[in-house]
Amino acid sequence: MLELAQGAFPEPLAGVTLAHYLVLSGAMFTLGLVGFITRRNLIIMFLCTELMFQAAGLALIAFSRYHLNLDGQTFVIFVLTVAAAEAALALALVVLLFRRRESLSSEDWSDLKG
Amino acid sequence: MTERLAYLWPELSLFVATCVVMVLGLSPSRETRRLCAWVSAIGLLVAAGLAANAPIDSEALLPHLMPFAKLLIALVGLVLLMLLAGTVDRDYEAEIASGRAVFNALRSNRAEFYSFFLFSLTGLMLTASAESLIWLFLALELTSLPTYVMVTISTRGTQSQEAGVKYFFLGALGAAFFLYGFALIYGGTGATHFADIAGIIATEGMNPILTLGMILGLIGVSFKIAAVPMHFYTPDVYQGAAASVSAMLAFVPKTAGFLAIIVLCALMGWRYGPGGESLPEAVRMLLWISAALTMTVGNTLALRQRSVKRLLAYSSIAHSGYMLVGVVAGPGSDPARFTTNGIAAVLFYLLCYGFMNVGAFAVLAALRRPDGTEADDIDDIRGLCHTQPLLGWSMVLCALSLLGMPPLLGFIGKFGLFTSAISAGEIVLVVILGLNSAVAAAYYLRLVVTPYLERPPERDAMGVQRVAIPSRPIVAVVSACSVVVLVLAAQFLVTRSAIAGRVLEARPPASADARP
Amino acid sequence: MLLTLASDAPAGAAPWWVMLIPALAMLGVVLCTLFAIMGVKSKLPAYATVGCLGLACALAFAMLLGYEDASGVVKAWQWFDISWGEGHGQTFSAIFGFYIDRLTILWMLFVTSLGTLIGLYASEYMSHDQGPGYCRFFMAFNLFVFSMSCLVMGANMLMLYLGWEGVGLCSYLLIGYFYKKPSAVAAGKKAFIVNRIGDLGLALGVYLTFVHFGTIEYAELFAGDKLQGYLSDVAHGHFEHIPMTAQMIPLLLTVGAIGKSAQLPLYVWLPDAMEGPTPVSALIHAATMVTAGVYLIARAYPLFQVSQFALPAVAWIGALTAFLAATIGMAQFDIKRIMAYSTVSQLGYMFAGLGVMTSIGAAAHVFTHAFFKALLFLCCGAVMHGFAGQLDLRKLSGLAKMKGWGIVSITMLIGCLNLVGFPVITSGYWSKDIILAEAFVRPSTGLVGWLLLITAGLTAYYTFRVFFRVFVGPVEYHPGEELHAHDDHAHGHAHDHGHGNVPAHGHAPNDAHDEAHGHFHPHAPGWAINTVLLILAILTFVAIPLVALSHGGWVGEMVHGSTAHFEAAHAEGGSHGSVWLAGLDPHKVMYYISGVVGVLGIVVAWALHYRGRREAAHAPAADAFKQAIGAVQRWAEHKWYVDELYDFLFRNPLWVLSQVFRYVDMLLVDGLVNTAGWLPSALGGRLRRGQHGLLQGYAGSMAGGLALFVVVVLLLVSKSA
Repeated sequence: MLELAQGAFPEPLAGVTLAHYLVLSGAMFTLGLVGFITRRNLIIMFLCTELMFQAAGLALIAFSRYHLNLDGQTFVIFVLTVAAAEAALALALVVLLFRRRESLSSEDWSDLKG
Repeated sequence: MTERLAYLWPELSLFVATCVVMVLGLSPSRETRRLCAWVSAIGLLVAAGLAANAPIDSEALLPHLMPFAKLLIALVGLVLLMLLAGTVDRDYEAEIASGRAVFNALRSNRAEFYSFFLFSLTGLMLTASAESLIWLFLALELTSLPTYVMVTISTRGTQSQEAGVKYFFLGALGAAFFLYGFALIYGGTGATHFADIAGIIATEGMNPILTLGMILGLIGVSFKIAAVPMHFYTPDVYQGAAASVSAMLAFVPKTAGFLAIIVLCALMGWRYGPGGESLPEAVRMLLWISAALTMTVGNTLALRQRSVKRLLAYSSIAHSGYMLVGVVAGPGSDPARFTTNGIAAVLFYLLCYGFMNVGAFAVLAALRRPDGTEADDIDDIRGLCHTQPLLGWSMVLCALSLLGMPPLLGFIGKFGLFTSAISAGEIVLVVILGLNSAVAAAYYLRLVVTPYLERPPERDAMGVQRVAIPSRPIVAVVSACSVVVLVLAAQFLVTRSAIAGRVLEARPPASADARP
Repeated sequence: MLLTLASDAPAGAAPWWVMLIPALAMLGVVLCTLFAIMGVKSKLPAYATVGCLGLACALAFAMLLGYEDASGVVKAWQWFDISWGEGHGQTFSAIFGFYIDRLTILWMLFVTSLGTLIGLYASEYMSHDQGPGYCRFFMAFNLFVFSMSCLVMGANMLMLYLGWEGVGLCSYLLIGYFYKKPSAVAAGKKAFIVNRIGDLGLALGVYLTFVHFGTIEYAELFAGDKLQGYLSDVAHGHFEHIPMTAQMIPLLLTVGAIGKSAQLPLYVWLPDAMEGPTPVSALIHAATMVTAGVYLIARAYPLFQVSQFALPAVAWIGALTAFLAATIGMAQFDIKRIMAYSTVSQLGYMFAGLGVMTSIGAAAHVFTHAFFKALLFLCCGAVMHGFAGQLDLRKLSGLAKMKGWGIVSITMLIGCLNLVGFPVITSGYWSKDIILAEAFVRPSTGLVGWLLLITAGLTAYYTFRVFFRVFVGPVEYHPGEELHAHDDHAHGHAHDHGHGNVPAHGHAPNDAHDEAHGHFHPHAPGWAINTVLLILAILTFVAIPLVALSHGGWVGEMVHGSTAHFEAAHAEGGSHGSVWLAGLDPHKVMYYISGVVGVLGIVVAWALHYRGRREAAHAPAADAFKQAIGAVQRWAEHKWYVDELYDFLFRNPLWVLSQVFRYVDMLLVDGLVNTAGWLPSALGGRLRRGQHGLLQGYAGSMAGGLALFVVVVLLLVSKSA
């Protein structure tokens, strides 16, 4: 199924198959995940989730082109909207937390456990 | 398109109420601000009425699920609203009333709190009526995003903020998982409408991308229901948030998650494959393992807790595991029969769980320690039946029901899960469920023994007192009573659940092509 | 065939409005709850209760008039209809509905009418507690009537069980009403725990009924082929054809009945239950709830017929209980407790009546007893209310001569005469007589008859001991310890006595109060209490023609038209021939014998407790008699040490066992020993390390878990494919 994709993409990208997009998208997703796990700064961590969202967006657009319908692109518009809403929330939260502890390290917030 | 609107009237009424509440809560007049809760209640009542009379969408995968779920959401929502009343801004309003402060719209949280609660319920109802992947994604996010804020502002302490930050970041991670899963489902089928996806799967079967998408989607969504491996946040968040908000967290996102899981499974059909026996093997395996691990992890971790909120959080995990058993069992050969229909059992269990769990949290929310903080430690409820008989007995009844004690509501719920799993042939899972119920008895009985048989701590100086919010003890008592009283209406509820859990078989390709 | 009946109503349908009876009681509960929330501080809850229950009572009478002959079922909704297979006994269905026959109507008549009257009485009795406590009291009161009507009117054994647990709960709540008093809490707990034993028996009995007969709906059960087949076997004397399971059912139901109706060996909770407010003692613990056991046996009489042992066992339990409780009652000093023991004793009569196959006699005695015992309790309550909780018969005397106590004294006398069974003019005489006569008719239970006859004499003695000590004789009183604000209010009309013979509070236990309040003045009952007492006294006379004619009169007819009438077919036939008592028909001769025994008891009480008594505390004749019998009296006063025996036999071993369990449990929960609980707990401990509270860690675990899941699932799938 993946090799069938070739014909579906326009001429300048003739060498690029769906698989390329998916690999890129998967790499973005993994990078985001790894970044989320390894970084301690809350803002960076949030950006990592954004990266994961955009990886999904990329996959959606590639699939949309592949299937030759617009559902995927529509989906991406909504994903961007939700991502924006989350960003607003994240920033508000980060400001609140920074005011409280003067630090943005996620390790400072581990009183609740067990 | 306008005729589709008829299915969305409950959501619309809630949305209108949300907007009104958002404005009212910012009014400089104290009396107007007080209207917030009442307007929310009216919105929920109207939504309940509309949901009760909603038309049946015969095109949908689960045509009868929508009205049932919406009515359930509106009714439990009303109870939750009573519990949530007075969570934020109490001190601030008291300062204003005494003249020590003037009203500042930027400091007030009331408008957000109520309107976000209603937003979350709107999202939950939209989840029930979702008919495409995009809709489902948006509905799930609409359910979750407001709850992050509610957790964070539920108390003024750092614990709520820690809970909020954990909930938000891990929630975003979970959302990324199921979003990627949805993208892959789209990739595997080329459609986002559920009817189309179901038609394609019915004719062409699963492909690897689709399978991976389903797995990612289901695991991502299991963040909402706090199932393994996405359960880690639960105890921290429930403990950090105010008890009233924790009660909401245990119902609203969980219901959303189960509705999403049921829809995703319905896309593939429980009669998938050549034998027509169950879900695609990979998905069934996934849910099976997840159910078994979730119950076990939840129950074993709850055993040693001293914080009641944490204990209830772990019990919430365990209950998700129980309900996943119903999903694995599927609708069975005769969906009209409650005892073999696992989906009906899950829906009925959500109802039971809604009441008994809200009751238990309401008891905590209705108590405060002498220093003003919420009751949480198991010592706080020691001898409660003697000092606060109504609250104490509410706790006892709710704990017994959570345990699944025979005459109570929880028993009937668990009965449905057991019988449906047996009739689906999931004997090993049933054994695990039984063992887990036995383990769970150890900690639920502590919630029974501690208030009832143990003596209250030395006189009043130490003891907890009732908060001055009259609606909270009422919620506790009402929930505890419904745990008993709803048993009287068991047949009615069970029949309703069985109808709601009826799943249309995946339709033939003809109708899949009907939508371009 | 039984199952096909499940969906549609069997033979005849009751009118829908009978459902209003429990609904009205429920309305009372809701109203009182609302009043509690609204913080009502007036007598409104009492009036709402009386209104609701009064309407229910009117409906019960309407049921009697308009619905006398038909028996039928009315269904509110299908309660359960669960099937787990197609075969026989694999469908459990129960309706939420009501089964009305004459037995039901009989019971409902006195439940609702007494509920109304006692509600009215309580409006005054509880008035010192107006506010949340008052609402709470009437809420539980209404809930009790609701549960009782479910119990009595329920269409199946599940409804009965629901009501059974409901009345148990209300009883527990109301016994512990004065929850600040440790003895009240302890009594509540005792009642609760002892009743659990009985309830277990009932639950097992209901379960076994379902397993064996495949249904628990009365209409199907009693008309079902299986039971009818057994009954015809029994009629031919073929007990060996009946399977053991069917014979076990009545025995298990009996265990339930003796728990609720306070029979040997589970009677110990009832005397302690007198810690509750007196109206509760009158309604729940004398007139209605405790007769639930009698109702259960009468209702399930056909089931009892098929067992060889069940009814004789019931007869013996009843007779022994009646005798034992009467002996204990003779030596008590607390008048309410004496009445409690007399209740246990009279319930024993009813059980014996059922056991000797006169369900008519049992029902008649339930009916008359409900009125006169309620009357007696309410009189005791009036005394308790007026004398600040004083109930010791050594500290009260000559009430009849005090101003304002006339009605109480007269009605008390009427109640006592009924309890004694004073010949001809009391209803108690006629109903007790049926049981006594029938007990002698059956040759196999002759000894039961003797026990009951002796008990009748003892009853007369201890009843009139109370009357002669408290209501007649020299005027003297010592107030109890529950002094409350009413003292001032009673000031005026109580002032003129008290200096009569002895200083009124010479030995008052509570001198501090006396200093604070000056002199204590008893306050005589007001209009509500007096009215209720008078109505009840009249009702005891009204009951005479209802039970006095041959075969129990009207009550007999009522019982005949119900499931409890089965006895007629098997019992009445042959046994009349075997006449006992010197060639005379016991039915006739017993009229004289029991009358004479009763009067004899009264005379003894008069001789010991009235003649020559100069002060409240000492009656020379009785004291001399006490000296003479020595240890026996002491033993009886200590209730034959039954409580201590139970402590020794059950509570101590159970305590040890519970300690063992607690120890095990402690270790189990802490995961210290290698028991079944170790594994989950240890697992929990391990898993707990995962809950370290670090955001990154959680994210890592989630991602790792996700990856692991995907890999494992794909591996498993590819392996199986």
